[in-house]
Amino acid sequence: MSSEPIERRVSYNLDKIRGSECPECERNYSTPMDYCVDCGRISFGRMKDTNYFFEKGNLEVCTIVEKPTMRFEKLGSFLHGTVSFGKGIRFPGRVTDMLINNTGIDLSDFEGREVVPRFRKRYKVNRKEIIPTISLAFTFADEYYPHQNYEIRKPKKEYEKPGIVGFGVYTSKFRIKEGRIERSVPFLDEDSITAAVEAGKLALIHSGVDNTKISKVYVGSESNPYAVKPIASKVAQVLDFGKEEVGGLRGVDAVDTEFACKAATSMFKDAAALVSFERNKEPEKTYVMSIGSDNSQAAPRDEPGGELDLFVGYGASAFIFGMDDVIAEMEGYYSITSDTPDFWRRDLQPFPSHGGRFTGEPAYFKHVKKTAEKTMEKLKLEPKDINYFVAHQPNAKFPVKVAKDLGFKQEQYLPGLKVAKFGNTYSGSSPIGLAAVLEIAKPNERILIVSYGSGAGSDGYSLITTTQINDIKNRQKFTVQNQAENEFLEYVDYPTYRKLKCGF
Amino acid sequence: MSSSVAIIDVGRTKFGEHYETNPEKLVEEAFLNASIKPEISRKDLDACKFSTYFLPQTNKIGAPEGFVSQLMEINIPMEASYKPFSSAFSAAYDSIKSGRYNLVLVGGMEKMTDRWYKIRDDLMLLGCPLSYYTGATPLTNHELMLREYIKKYDIHDKELEEFNNALAWMSVVNHKNALKNENAQFREEIFEKEISVDDVLRARGRKPLGRYDFAPVSDGASALLLASEEVAKKYTDKPVYVSGIGSATDFISYQSRNERTGFLSNRLAMEKALKKSGLEREEIKLLEIHDESTMQGMVSLEDLGFAEKGKAWLDINKSCEDYQGFYKINGNKLFVNRKGGLKADGNPLGATGGAQIYEIVKQLRAEAGERQINEKLEHGLVLENEGFGVKSNIIILSVVK
Repeated sequence: MSSEPIERRVSYNLDKIRGSECPECERNYSTPMDYCVDCGRISFGRMKDTNYFFEKGNLEVCTIVEKPTMRFEKLGSFLHGTVSFGKGIRFPGRVTDMLINNTGIDLSDFEGREVVPRFRKRYKVNRKEIIPTISLAFTFADEYYPHQNYEIRKPKKEYEKPGIVGFGVYTSKFRIKEGRIERSVPFLDEDSITAAVEAGKLALIHSGVDNTKISKVYVGSESNPYAVKPIASKVAQVLDFGKEEVGGLRGVDAVDTEFACKAATSMFKDAAALVSFERNKEPEKTYVMSIGSDNSQAAPRDEPGGELDLFVGYGASAFIFGMDDVIAEMEGYYSITSDTPDFWRRDLQPFPSHGGRFTGEPAYFKHVKKTAEKTMEKLKLEPKDINYFVAHQPNAKFPVKVAKDLGFKQEQYLPGLKVAKFGNTYSGSSPIGLAAVLEIAKPNERILIVSYGSGAGSDGYSLITTTQINDIKNRQKFTVQNQAENEFLEYVDYPTYRKLKCGF
Repeated sequence: MSSSVAIIDVGRTKFGEHYETNPEKLVEEAFLNASIKPEISRKDLDACKFSTYFLPQTNKIGAPEGFVSQLMEINIPMEASYKPFSSAFSAAYDSIKSGRYNLVLVGGMEKMTDRWYKIRDDLMLLGCPLSYYTGATPLTNHELMLREYIKKYDIHDKELEEFNNALAWMSVVNHKNALKNENAQFREEIFEKEISVDDVLRARGRKPLGRYDFAPVSDGASALLLASEEVAKKYTDKPVYVSGIGSATDFISYQSRNERTGFLSNRLAMEKALKKSGLEREEIKLLEIHDESTMQGMVSLEDLGFAEKGKAWLDINKSCEDYQGFYKINGNKLFVNRKGGLKADGNPLGATGGAQIYEIVKQLRAEAGERQINEKLEHGLVLENEGFGVKSNIIILSVVK
């Protein structure tokens, strides 16, 4: 799309599939309307906004596109069809997350099935252009990614300390399996922006928090496809954070952060501090979301820096912080920083470089160990006081070694060790481990999470679960556990993996 | 106000690829073909109306009027619209009816192969942006309509096979007819043998429709000379009268329409055109329908009311087993797309409607040569669509008043 105004209008309407409803006759429209065609003047300016992004659709009919138009060429063959949303609303849609081989296909196997809108890149553009996105991309609701209702719930209990009120983890349907390590692989139309939106959406569903009450969103990433243009603004627009003002402006703060793999965890304390600061804000308390999202970059295996290619994954995590209905209170934190150049990516370089063995002892271990020790020292804790320990997971070896060195036992560090299922998801790495632990934790258990970001620094947090953690356990169907062991996972070979990873 | 509007003569170029020729040269060639017999010179023209869809995209031409003016050294009023041929035709018709002009050249031109790789993106983006953004090609909506159709009319198993065969037959018949059309894009020399139903079915592979079901990308031009009855009679003793004209529009997004197993715009335009002509549907036996795909061709017969909804394919199947140059639908003989349809004759968008009118005029005047229908025909109907049923233009032509 060479014209930014057109791109703005298209993405504004279609990133979340906007429509309207007439307050008089309840007629629904598939585009935003100023008035109802049937009711005329009396409906002017009173039309209600509708949003199909959280809804479930039905793939009425479909066909297979085998020779796509130029911009869609890289997708190869895909299904395209008519998706209805009840009340007579229908859109054309592309079925995504589907690798179609050359065998026969029976279209009636797909027609009539329920589908979920997915936020994806629209098509290939020139590297200088704005990346077009759309949510008229769908996956089947009875497969990897289920449809879940987003229900806004009234908070029941206020807490003294700020903490986590809900979270979401998103990893893609595709995996590459090499040895004992499985790693998640993005589909062609996915990147760190789309994963950030998906994780945010799942966190909203899990927490039941009113999205318009989110006052700030942080997105930490080291693989933002833009050097300049935040992911956070896209997340805020698609997920409707803050109150909407005229002209599509939203009353929300959104910012991207960068510090290699700790860009998201670093903001946990800022998020907690902000909700605590705004606890008495009129008329209502606010929430803050911190997302870590990466399509972890690595050079191809036979090139310098290609060692990383054995471990990189794709995924995002989103944590919502608040003062009400907290499931894990923030007990304390400690951070460490030093200028250690163990891993870096210069501007305009597609893949990062790293210092080989230097990334171990003087970088990862030194920072993680110190941060864990200092956090415990500050809170007067011993390893035995901690139920779960989660460290940054660049590979399977490092987090195990550091946990053992610190005196943690298997039952303390294994539940949060997920690198063998998803690979190193960079900014999402230790947060995914934290999410996995929160899924199984009982009330009043203590979790110590220590992230690590090259460059270098670590954040340590001690969190204590509350009794309310049990209340929302069943609210998320698309759990870390579910994504790790889903029966619809699709395994791809190395060439396919590279093709998918590099995207459009 | 003048009484009637009539076509003096028609002309066209061969459809296909014209690498060496500029668009204005193509339309000039079509004009020269149309003007030879009535001996009309460019100086006799009052005005020109041109149609094209894509010249700004394909040839970076914004004002084709200037190119034609410079080429033919005429400075009369000219208008080019980025629309189908029947839209320029309709503008010319109105200007003659109103008495503003007496003799107007209507020309259509398109050079799609100049932008071979991007033309499908252009077509779909202008056809329906929503469909384009979700990955549709210009063929996708035809296939979705097919799926809607078999779902609505509950066509399955053996019936579905017959249905698929009926559509394949429409393509076979198109190719067969094109063999006798010296201007057609696909004639015998292209293929080693005649296209068979099996070829069409095989080309579909696992898709509902295939290569032989869709009209190609083409270059070409067409032209006709439109005049008031009085002027027309000065140049020809066989004027073809415009007896009915009708047009209608539908939503840009096919998915948003209530009617998805046919085109509402076709139905509405037909009602208007019939009413204007004062003819009964049964009096029309000669049709040029806009078969961008075999599916669109088939539903058009239903939309225009010649076949019952959901049943056209049954009669087509029967007629084609022993094709005699016509479809027998509801017991009536219908001569459809005798020049080979858009599939085999070619589909250079802006010029397509002109070629359809060309065929009707030639047939009504018994000047169609090898493909002349041996039956007395007084009326013929042209259906031209824009986009996927977004617009429908119907022109009814008659040799009697």
